[in-house]
Amino acid sequence: MNMKNIVFVSLIAVLSVTMSSNAFAQCDVESFSNKALKALQPGFTFVKSYKIDGKNGVRKNIDYTCVFSKDTSYMIRMEGKDGGPNGIVAVLFDSNRQELATSYVNNRFFPGWTYKCKATGIYYLNFSFKESQSYCGAAVLGFRR
Amino acid sequence: MKKLYFMFILALLLGCGNNNASTEEVSEVVTDETATTAQVSDDIISDILQAIPSPLEISFLIKEVGTKYNSTNLNSIDLVSNYNTSYQQALNLGTYATDLGYANLYGKNQDVLSFLNCVKKLADNLNIGQFFDYETIRQLASNSGNVDALLQLTQQNFEKINYHLREKKQENLSILILTGGWVEAIYLTSLVHQETKNKQLKEKIGEQKVVLEQILMVLEIYKTKPNFSTLINDLKELQKVYNGVEMKTIVGKTRTVEKNGELIVETDTQTVVNISDDDVQKITSLVKSIRNKIVK
Repeated sequence: MNMKNIVFVSLIAVLSVTMSSNAFAQCDVESFSNKALKALQPGFTFVKSYKIDGKNGVRKNIDYTCVFSKDTSYMIRMEGKDGGPNGIVAVLFDSNRQELATSYVNNRFFPGWTYKCKATGIYYLNFSFKESQSYCGAAVLGFRR
Repeated sequence: MKKLYFMFILALLLGCGNNNASTEEVSEVVTDETATTAQVSDDIISDILQAIPSPLEISFLIKEVGTKYNSTNLNSIDLVSNYNTSYQQALNLGTYATDLGYANLYGKNQDVLSFLNCVKKLADNLNIGQFFDYETIRQLASNSGNVDALLQLTQQNFEKINYHLREKKQENLSILILTGGWVEAIYLTSLVHQETKNKQLKEKIGEQKVVLEQILMVLEIYKTKPNFSTLINDLKELQKVYNGVEMKTIVGKTRTVEKNGELIVETDTQTVVNISDDDVQKITSLVKSIRNKIVK
């Protein structure tokens, strides 16, 4: 292989790897997670953060499983690239996939919700996008006994 | 020219490999070592790991029931240098993390600093020390009265560690950290329950049936890794006792109210945990023996 080919192949390889890893790297999840953390109300202790990276619209739904405990309140707070919670909907389902809570009510995006849990078990947290421009954000979960 | 095409295709494949679709459920078997893990996708493993609740929730309950801080219940800081394998280090990183959270909660700053040193040492040994903001946590712990900030930063650091381990395909270490943390939390709960016979703690012990299931689900994936089978067998013995614990859900209505721009969701759905005193005793004893094996 001559020098020209080596340079060409190296260039392709570097470009390919760089482009593929950066194509969806525009969502700075950590900064939104930090913003959401600040929105967590006093009295709630941070336990987990959730990446809401819709990969520029490729991913429509982002699902997480959680174990919630009875006699505990759980608060979700979201921040996204569209500004505040705009464009992101957080829905909580029970283990039978029955909807319990949503952050989109009366055509309005709320920054999250507080679920006063009385039943220990598996729950599902779904993040989806509605009229989103960025498909990018993060959420945090806090608890209070 | 053939080589050129080969390298081009390889470059593209390498590039695409970094963006695994999140819904991918089956990975290709590459080596014998990955044969077991290949059956379950990384996303499913990550989801289960993410679902395991923080031991901090249990520590809050222990404090809430009014028990005094008891450092003799916690892992000895002198044992930290005994943990030489990554298996021991990861498990005990979890143990010390729970103890750190517990000491944090009670504002026992000297113990916080001691456990912090243990966590730092084990995290460094596992090459994940860079995700632990030791200096800031040390400063926060030195200036008492900042428990919330301390808890938050500690939680964030452990989350970063777990994300990093998942990215590096070292979920086996992640699950060990979580298991160590969970065993320590339930160990502390059972000790306090033995003293207080508190009903809430008894129920909390019973509720751990759900968490144990999640933990075992992930551990099973790595059953061929060194030492995992012993831990799995021990936890399966515990699960046998938990099979006697009944968790009944009574479904009720759920309603959402808006208060000062906040959505509050209240529910009448509740779980009833039926656990006999005999089973609590068996769980206490088994957890103690599992914990002793971990911290020895």
